[in-house]
Amino acid sequence: MTIFSQSVSPCGKFLAAGNNYGQIAIFSLSAALSSEAKEESKKPVVTFQAHDGPVYSMVSTDRHLLSAGDGEVKAWLWAEILKKGCKELWRRQPPYRTSLEVPEINALLLVPKENSLILAGGDCQLHTMDLETGTFTRALRGHTDYIHCLALRERSPEVLSGGEDGAVRLWDLRTVREVQTIEVYKHEECSRPHNGRWIGCLATDSDWMVCGGGPALTLWHLRSSTPTTIFPMRAPQKHVTFYQDLILSAGQGRCVNHWQLSGELKAQVPGSSPGLLSLSLNQQPAAPECKVLTVAGSSCRVDVFTNLGYRAFSLSF
Amino acid sequence: MGAVTDDEVIRKRLLIDGDGAGDDRRINLLVKSFIKWCNSGSQEEGYSQYQRMLSTLSQCEFSMGKTLLVYDMNLREMENYEKIYKEIECSIAGAHEKIAECKKQILQAKRIRKNRQEYDALAKVIQHHPDRHETLKELEALGKELEHLSHIKESVEDKLELRRKQFHVLLSTIHELQQTLENDEKLSEVEEAQEASMEADPKP
Repeated sequence: MTIFSQSVSPCGKFLAAGNNYGQIAIFSLSAALSSEAKEESKKPVVTFQAHDGPVYSMVSTDRHLLSAGDGEVKAWLWAEILKKGCKELWRRQPPYRTSLEVPEINALLLVPKENSLILAGGDCQLHTMDLETGTFTRALRGHTDYIHCLALRERSPEVLSGGEDGAVRLWDLRTVREVQTIEVYKHEECSRPHNGRWIGCLATDSDWMVCGGGPALTLWHLRSSTPTTIFPMRAPQKHVTFYQDLILSAGQGRCVNHWQLSGELKAQVPGSSPGLLSLSLNQQPAAPECKVLTVAGSSCRVDVFTNLGYRAFSLSF
Repeated sequence: MGAVTDDEVIRKRLLIDGDGAGDDRRINLLVKSFIKWCNSGSQEEGYSQYQRMLSTLSQCEFSMGKTLLVYDMNLREMENYEKIYKEIECSIAGAHEKIAECKKQILQAKRIRKNRQEYDALAKVIQHHPDRHETLKELEALGKELEHLSHIKESVEDKLELRRKQFHVLLSTIHELQQTLENDEKLSEVEEAQEASMEADPKP
C-alpha cells in the first residue's frame, strides 16, 4: 500500500490519509497523543472508499475535506466524516479538452483570498474552481507535460507550478498570465541529467522557493531567478516544506531531512517507510497539543513526530 | 449515638495510647492511690502516699504541658509548610512564564537566523559577479579610448577633405588651362584659314 496524501482537520485533532486503493482513513490525533493511548488509538477511527483510483491529493478548508485523484474532486464534510457510510457532498470534474481519457489530478491548492481551489494534473493545465459556486473560472496553459506540484506565493497572489517538463512556472491569478518561468534543468549547478528533468516538489516562502526532483534540491531567489543554495542530496525528493528556519524534505530515502538555508544538513531522522511521499505539519491553532509532523509514503504506516528530532510512534492504516 | 461516640472515643484512645503504658495508666494509678489514701488510716503512710500522689500529679501535669507544646509546634509547622507551598506555587508559575518568554525568544532567534542565512545565500551569488567599482573604472577607460580614437578619426578625415579640395582645385586649373590652350589653337587655325581664303580672292 502507498499513502499518497494527508490532510489535517480544521480543529487540528484528526488526520486524513489517502492511499493508492482510493480509500481515505481518518485517524484521531488527540487520542493517539493522549497519555492513555492504546493500540487501537493508532488505528483509523473510520476508513471509507472515496475514489476508484488512488487519492493523490487532499486539502482541508475550514469545513470540508477535498480529495482528488482520478480526474475528479470530491468534497466531504468534516463534521459528518466520522459517521459510518459518509457520502460525498459534491463531486466535480474540470473541463478537459478530450472526454475520452480522464487525466489524474496530482495537486490541489487552496487560495483563501478568493475562496477558490486550483487543480493541476495530467492535462498540463491549471484549473481554478470557485468554491462557492463550483464553476471552473480559469484554465492556465503553458506546461508542456503533466504537472506534479503547486505552491501559493501569498504576498503577490501568484501560483507556482512544477511539472514533468522541468520548468517551474509562476502564474498571476489576476491577469491570468504566466509571469515567470524558471527552467531548472538548464542551470548547470543543479541539473542532474541522469535523473531526468522532472520537478517533484515545490515550496515557497514569498521571496524564496525550494524545488527538487530530478534536478538537485535547490533554493531559488525568485526575484532574480538565481539558484542560491544547492542541497547535497542524491535521492530525488518528493515533498519539501519550509518550517521556521529550516527546510524539511523527504523523498526516496527512509529519512526526513532537515536543512538549514545555508545548505547544511542539520539532521536526518529515519521514519518507518522505505520511501516517503508526503509531509504534513499540524499547525492548527485550535489544537496546540496536537502540533506534530506526520510523514507517510510507500507503506501503510504514518509516522508521527512530536519533536522533530525523533519518531514518536506510527499510525497504521 | 452513644455507641458511635463510644467507638470513636475508644478508637482515639487506642490510637493515642494503645498499650496502656504511659499517661493513661498513670492517671488510673493516681485515682486508685487516691482512693487507697482516703481509706488508709495512719499518718506517716498517709503523708508519704500523699507526697507520692503529688509527684504523680505533677508528672501528669508535666506530660500534659509537653503535649500542649507539641500541639502548638505542629500548628506552627503546618503554617510554615503552607507558606513554603505557596512560595513554590508562585515560583512554578514564574517558571511557566519564563518558559513561554523563552519560547518566544527562540522563535525570534530562529527568524533572525533564517534572515541571516537568506542574506548569506544572496551575498554568495552577488560575490560571483565582479565588483562594481572595477567595472565602472573599466567602463571609464574604455570611454576615454573611444573618445581618443574618434578624435583621431576626425582629424584624419579633415586632412583627407583638405587634400581632396586641393586636388580638385589643381585639376580644375589644369582643365581650364587645357581649355584655354585648345581655344587659342582653334582661333589661330580659324585666322590662318581666313588669311588663306583672302589671298586666293583678289587674284581673278
